[in-house]
Amino acid sequence: MNLFFSPDKPGAADVDLKRVYDAVVVGSGAAGGMAAHVLTSHGMKVLLLEAGKKLNINKELKSMEWPYDHPRRGDIPPDTHALTMNEYNFRARPYAKGMPYDHVYSYVEGWNGADYSKNIVVDEKNHPYTGTDYAWVRARCLGGKTNIWGRLALRLSDYDFKAASRDGFGMDWPISYQDLAPYYDKVDLYLGISGHKENLPYLPDSLFQRAIRLTKSEMMLRESLAGMGRVLTPYRAGVTTDGLKHNKYRSRCFGRGACERRTGGCDIHAAFDSPTGLIYPALDTGNLTLRTNSTAYEVTVDPVTGKARGVSFIDTETGQTYEARAKAVVLAASTLESARLMLLSKSKAHPNGIGNSSGHVGHNFCEHLMGPGVTGIVKDLVGKARTIDDGRPGGFYVPRFRNLADRNPNFIRGYGFEGSSGNKMFPDSAFWAKGFGSGYKKAVRDYAGAFIEMGGFGEVLPRYENYVDLDPSTKDKWGIPVLRFHYKFGDNEKKMAADMAAAAREMFEEAGIEIVNATREIRTEGWSIHELGTARMGGDPKISVLNQFQQSHDVKNLLVVDGSSHVNASCQNPTWTIMSLAWRSCDHLADEMRKGEV
Amino acid sequence: MSDHDNVSRRDIIQIGAAAALTVAGADRNLASEPAPKFFTKDEFAMVDELSELIIPADDHSPGARAAQVAAYIDGRLAESFEEEPKKSWREGLARVDSLSREMHGQSFMRANPEQRVALLTRISKNEERPQAPEEHFFKMLKGHTARAYYTSKIGIHQEMEYKGNVLLQEFVGYEVK
Repeated sequence: MNLFFSPDKPGAADVDLKRVYDAVVVGSGAAGGMAAHVLTSHGMKVLLLEAGKKLNINKELKSMEWPYDHPRRGDIPPDTHALTMNEYNFRARPYAKGMPYDHVYSYVEGWNGADYSKNIVVDEKNHPYTGTDYAWVRARCLGGKTNIWGRLALRLSDYDFKAASRDGFGMDWPISYQDLAPYYDKVDLYLGISGHKENLPYLPDSLFQRAIRLTKSEMMLRESLAGMGRVLTPYRAGVTTDGLKHNKYRSRCFGRGACERRTGGCDIHAAFDSPTGLIYPALDTGNLTLRTNSTAYEVTVDPVTGKARGVSFIDTETGQTYEARAKAVVLAASTLESARLMLLSKSKAHPNGIGNSSGHVGHNFCEHLMGPGVTGIVKDLVGKARTIDDGRPGGFYVPRFRNLADRNPNFIRGYGFEGSSGNKMFPDSAFWAKGFGSGYKKAVRDYAGAFIEMGGFGEVLPRYENYVDLDPSTKDKWGIPVLRFHYKFGDNEKKMAADMAAAAREMFEEAGIEIVNATREIRTEGWSIHELGTARMGGDPKISVLNQFQQSHDVKNLLVVDGSSHVNASCQNPTWTIMSLAWRSCDHLADEMRKGEV
Repeated sequence: MSDHDNVSRRDIIQIGAAAALTVAGADRNLASEPAPKFFTKDEFAMVDELSELIIPADDHSPGARAAQVAAYIDGRLAESFEEEPKKSWREGLARVDSLSREMHGQSFMRANPEQRVALLTRISKNEERPQAPEEHFFKMLKGHTARAYYTSKIGIHQEMEYKGNVLLQEFVGYEVK
């Protein structure tokens, strides 16, 4: 059995910039990878531009490396620095400005240090931004953040798509669950997803492969929550647990245990990542051309028709600029980078930026709030024999329970919890047990498998006044104006967070779990790495940017297929929805192009 | 450091845990070991002894000394880009020494095992909310010791008997029905 695939595809065909491609896709993460897959499967000739480099990703991830085989046990070299949680709150923007280190990286959470993610995320020194506090984690490399994502793969439902009709805030999506369900199915089957059917109308089931197993404490909590009318389900992971016959670049999950020690990253690619899941198979069709180190800075416009003509980009290695031409331009650079690119693309026809006649590009910016959570000890598990609990792509998920049948008087929308428990390579008890000596050592041992924890993810409302625009003076390393944040959590978020903290405590207490730590504070804006909403879809071109097929209202051959199109954040992790929407829109684009309508 | 050295050190500890305690550290032939990179030899001996007091060798497994916790901390400090952690360690160790003189009339390494434990008991009592400089030092010392020990070969395999990070044909745990 060849487990260790070489994910290094041979180089793609050289880019021919004299040619007019059927489509140029900007960005190679979940959205761009999906666009490349769908459009090439329709026989379209596609150019994919990625701003970052192509990494030998397995050399970065080293999923099975033991901590003691790493010179700093996972920490980054001394002349480099990864921003800490606190620094996002007290340092002036741009965060890395004036720091003495050679490189300053975004923070990616994981106990085993930042050395495994440092080449995947950007160097903040080259990629500044300004404005309000925001922990903006960007991954500039082939595959983007899918190389390190948390893997929780959830569907949205009409509780989300039609949330405005339910509680009066904001705007409904221009689609309903029925429109997207067939595409969720396609994504499930093409990429693989693990989970257990629960038949919940507010968290529709996927076409699941084998579910992840639960620990004893998770089973106990599941039972207790059932008594409260709530659900604990095995982590719905965008991970193939049974394997995918149609994809030679990915193995099934072998529960190896590296999953827990840092955020994401799977060197046998059982966990979905865009390169092995989408881009390499697309390259195999012969219809895809890939160019990395290519940062798009403008969507160019045909002065006669006002339609998109292509994309201007800069080679980040040579500084040389080029224009790639295409019949359609598909932006998938991430919620904030796609908005930036649209705002940068000013022309006579589009003086506020391309696709921005509504003035809504960059606005209605939303995400998930994090922070409130709880850690506890299950007494029955103290002193028990070791079990292998960290060989799972995730622990458990507690879906939303607020504002479903009844109305909470204090806030609208909902939140869910992600959690984990049991024995890990690094014992949770090591930083918890008090004192020193044999007693301390024994306590670490005895309590190591008894810990259980969960943290909330709550819907942040999309509000017009939360937005990004271009900073008038600050530029990145390549001279491109950067984003300026105008973004704060509001009253609904604060009240929701208070309820999250109380509900987390209540659920553990009800299950007889002894609480050893509880957090009430909301973490810095951006912490969930789930930015959404900056170019929302809608039926009304005056207050939305895209139609239901993620096509610009203003420019028919411009699509924005990433999270910027989402009308609200829901409280479910967005990756699976991003890919399902992109599939639907790219099917539609291919269809329109076949009919000559774009 | 070779495996042979590891084994012989562990043997020394296991031959007479009690005997070793009376003159721990001072009795070892430090001259045969590579010179510390950041700490002075005396500071290194203190960190080695303090870490072993926090995570000692016992019936279950070797402790921080065998896991070379002091050498790991020393290496990290030697390459540290910032002066502040270096200063904190140096001042913290000096503070432990002066506290030892205050409490027992002699330096930490000359104090007997009971006296050393008494000192550690004192500086660890506000572990959750450290106030005095020596209490802050204890928290830092313990945190680094725990981090280095439980990421070491001894910590992961012998002490914690960790069985993961292997290919599993079947997932472990309970299937939800």
